[in-house]
Amino acid sequence: MIAIDKISKTFSRDGASVTALRDACFNIAAGDFVVIRGVSGSGKSTLLNILGCLDSPTTGTYLLDGADVSHQSDAELSKVRSQKIGFIFQSFNLLPRTTAIENVELPMIYAGRAVSRSRAVQVLARVGLSHRERHFATELSGGEQQRVAIARSLINDPALILADEPTGNLDEAAGEAVMKILHGLNEEGRTIVLVTHDDAVAAHARRILLIRDGVLRESEVRA
Amino acid sequence: MNLLRLFHAVVRTLTRNKVRAILMMAGVTIGIASLTILTSIGESTRRETMKRFKNMLGTFDTVIIRPGSSKNRGMVTLTNVVPSLKFDDATAIATQIPEVRQVAEIQNAFDIDVKYQDRSGTPAIFGVSSNWLELRGDEVAEGEFFSEDDARSMARVAILGAEAQKLLFPDEDSIGKTIRIGDVPFVVRGVMVARGAGPAGGSLDNLIFIPVTTASKRLFNRDFLTMLIAQLKDPTKGQVAIDQIQTLLRGRHHIAQGALDDFNLTNPGAVMAQVNQLGSTLRTLLLVVAILATGIGGIVIMSVTLIGVSERRKEIGVRRAVGASRNAILAQFLLEAVLLSFAGGMAGILIGVAGTQIVAQLQHLPFLLLPMAILAATMLSIVLGLLFGVYPAWKAAMTDPIDALRD
Repeated sequence: MIAIDKISKTFSRDGASVTALRDACFNIAAGDFVVIRGVSGSGKSTLLNILGCLDSPTTGTYLLDGADVSHQSDAELSKVRSQKIGFIFQSFNLLPRTTAIENVELPMIYAGRAVSRSRAVQVLARVGLSHRERHFATELSGGEQQRVAIARSLINDPALILADEPTGNLDEAAGEAVMKILHGLNEEGRTIVLVTHDDAVAAHARRILLIRDGVLRESEVRA
Repeated sequence: MNLLRLFHAVVRTLTRNKVRAILMMAGVTIGIASLTILTSIGESTRRETMKRFKNMLGTFDTVIIRPGSSKNRGMVTLTNVVPSLKFDDATAIATQIPEVRQVAEIQNAFDIDVKYQDRSGTPAIFGVSSNWLELRGDEVAEGEFFSEDDARSMARVAILGAEAQKLLFPDEDSIGKTIRIGDVPFVVRGVMVARGAGPAGGSLDNLIFIPVTTASKRLFNRDFLTMLIAQLKDPTKGQVAIDQIQTLLRGRHHIAQGALDDFNLTNPGAVMAQVNQLGSTLRTLLLVVAILATGIGGIVIMSVTLIGVSERRKEIGVRRAVGASRNAILAQFLLEAVLLSFAGGMAGILIGVAGTQIVAQLQHLPFLLLPMAILAATMLSIVLGLLFGVYPAWKAAMTDPIDALRD
């Protein structure tokens, strides 16, 4: 699914260059559930951005589903994001003044295919929010917003779901519900890469990668 | 990207931010409305002016010859002109100037009492030659104009202007009736079609035509004319004809070299071209002002959109993350600006049409809509949206999604 070979990312800041990621090498198999852990500033956001095709590595290659996406144009990367990747953010990031169902439909606009209301309805039901279709984001609880965000990430049927601290802004119960959904998605065969500080969340993972000062290493692999 | 879908999304964004959308539109609306009003009123004023001059002059392919120096302006009558222009002058101009097709002779007065039974008034009396209708293009509504024979025999026949007819014969037929002009009896031969208002707004129909020969010999007892109208074979040769007529008349009137003319010549075609020119300069100026006003509307759209781009960084980040390319973001923001500007323009056209109607009514002008002006206003509003939307849209497209999502 994911093959990362010697990826580095260097930013130049005020004339000095900062290496956020150094020679990262790893593979993630299809259907895996990987947690990335590391303190803030360790480079995990940079890694996630590269995995999510929002950023390109300075050096190294990134193969996603066999295709090299390390150095592609904005249009090509956008297409990859649209078709292969679903994003889930810590702060949900639903569009304001937009209903739950419209938020879910959003990625279809950019996927170059017909927008299907019935599919959006279906996916929203999947996360247990059928009764909230017409509610605006501001009218939903944090847990509900994150479930809408999960539905949005699923709408184009991506193989890879990237979640950045998905439970970070939620109470325990809501966090549990979100993790349960993610777990179910993984069991369906979707690959999940999740960044977290939370041990309880990390416990869902099959693999844990640790990142420290831009250097990545395998932490543990579970059966 | 699905364009129709994007369009829906943009419309949704705009309708869910109504106050902002309306404020953004307002500038363009005001600009386009004033543009619509100015062009429509400007054009109908111009046409009305042209029409009134045409009402007065009948035709512009002429040289008008009046007695007296050119300083002597205003309406001429038998009582206030120098007696320098004679019938022979008319004949000479008609026969000796190659540019001239024909000449109409005119002797007019304004202070003659006209009576029919117990009705009376002082319509203008115009003694004219029998080629008057042909030269001017005026038409007779009832009866007929006098003939060359009438002129030769100095017949006492009168053709009434529409106002004069109404004055003397409010509820009866006038043809064949005898009226008294001064104390001379004239038989009504015809009634003219109304000419409408003149340049000053007054009526051009309160007058009576009689043969100029009759006027000269039987009514006024004067052998000089108040005006000659020489019609040109080629309307563009006005100045050539003026020069030729001037030379001819100076010779005939024995005017010494260096002395002033005792007549003056005008070419209505040239005067009209000047009037038109002045009008179009004014219109251009107003148009520029209105376009500037509309441009300010565009700047409002640009600045509010720019604020929107920084307010909506997060939205841009999210859209980028779920698959929007830079171009898709560019298209979205550009479409927002164009739609707003277009909607503002449409509202402006509606207000402009209503405004034009009001102004036209207040100014007693015909209500006139120029399809070209409306088309131009529509195009302008779209172009404005593109022009002033492209920079904010570019800013939006260049927003780094990673930074935007981190905020």
